[in-house]
Amino acid sequence: MGPFHVSVCVTALLILAVCTRIYYILPRSKSFRRPSKSSKHCKLAVFLGSGGHTSEMLALVSSLDFNRYVPRTYIISEGDTLSERKVAMLEAAKAANSESDMAKNGEIYSILTIPRARKVHQSLLTTPPTAIVSLLHCVYYVTIKQYQQTPCPYFADVLVLNGPGTCLTLCLAVYLNKFLGLSAPKMLYVESFARVKTLSVSGKLLHSLVDRFIVQWPQLLKHSGRGEFHGWLI
Amino acid sequence: MLVFVTVGSTRFDALVQSVFSSSVLSSLSEKGYSNIVVQCGNSEFPYVHLLAQGEQSFQLEKDGVAIECWKFKPSLQVEYEEADLVISHAGSGTILDVLRMDKPLIVVPNPTLLDNHQEELASALEQLGHLKSSTTLQLARTIQDFDPSSLVKFPPFDGSKFQNLLDEEMGFI
Repeated sequence: MGPFHVSVCVTALLILAVCTRIYYILPRSKSFRRPSKSSKHCKLAVFLGSGGHTSEMLALVSSLDFNRYVPRTYIISEGDTLSERKVAMLEAAKAANSESDMAKNGEIYSILTIPRARKVHQSLLTTPPTAIVSLLHCVYYVTIKQYQQTPCPYFADVLVLNGPGTCLTLCLAVYLNKFLGLSAPKMLYVESFARVKTLSVSGKLLHSLVDRFIVQWPQLLKHSGRGEFHGWLI
Repeated sequence: MLVFVTVGSTRFDALVQSVFSSSVLSSLSEKGYSNIVVQCGNSEFPYVHLLAQGEQSFQLEKDGVAIECWKFKPSLQVEYEEADLVISHAGSGTILDVLRMDKPLIVVPNPTLLDNHQEELASALEQLGHLKSSTTLQLARTIQDFDPSSLVKFPPFDGSKFQNLLDEEMGFI
């Protein structure tokens, strides 16, 4: 066997190994549930896609028990100061209503900023480089950053996603963790209330990658084999 | 009675033009709406020159209706609160805000948007009876036939659905 054949064999084995690993980490059927948590706290991460996306996501987050979902990480796109202000308002309102000392101590939520994967009206040609920069930021926050500190914290227990584009790069970063066998958050995708008959681009891209895929109109279940409908969430 | 018109944060020329047309204004006047406040955003329409020189708003009396037109209003919540009828683009944020305040709503989906799901949302909510969906050409007719008392009350925000969903997923219940 010549060196050419050896390299073909090695490459084929590598591809097979990678494919097997990816198959293994793809979400299973939705009946799977994480066993009951021994901890009383759950580390929450939420992607805020600006504008209407942010409003919807923060409405969902506002319904949660903040003493249970702590600490909280909000991921926003670069330059989205409005979302940043809305987060501060929600956190302040919740802290004012809370009896817990934890809420009054501060340091219970943080905001991460990620460059947009694709700006509004950006041409498809120039998208790949900006998407890569965005992905690298996500990989830094989701995969690398935790190993720079001791004791080593992890990114989150659960990551809640909604469009637009940048949420795909976050999801890919989580997949890198899964691929490497590192701790990875569960991913929940909630499609916007505005989506009645057709999934958004992010929805189409993410629906087979996330652990739970939730839509707010039953008509969408026809398109998404793994979707769930629980009425209007917002 | 007061009508509030909003086109969202960008522009919707055809809707503002339609609102300033004699047919729409006289339909409003006939139905007892004597005042309207318009947030026109960056829309182009025949009276837009009245906004010149850094002015934020102008007033106009036309076809029996007193019109107050603003480029941007700082808080829309106050406007929704005061209005007896809201006419708006079909953005989901505006729709939710207005319906949650139990205000009668006529929406006009913006057909010029590229990824147009406004139309889908507007007709789905119209089928459920929560609002009336119209077009810039049919707006006058829609106002004439509009009966706010026939609308179905929109359910209030119920945070427990998402709370239960996440609590269950994370093993809290």
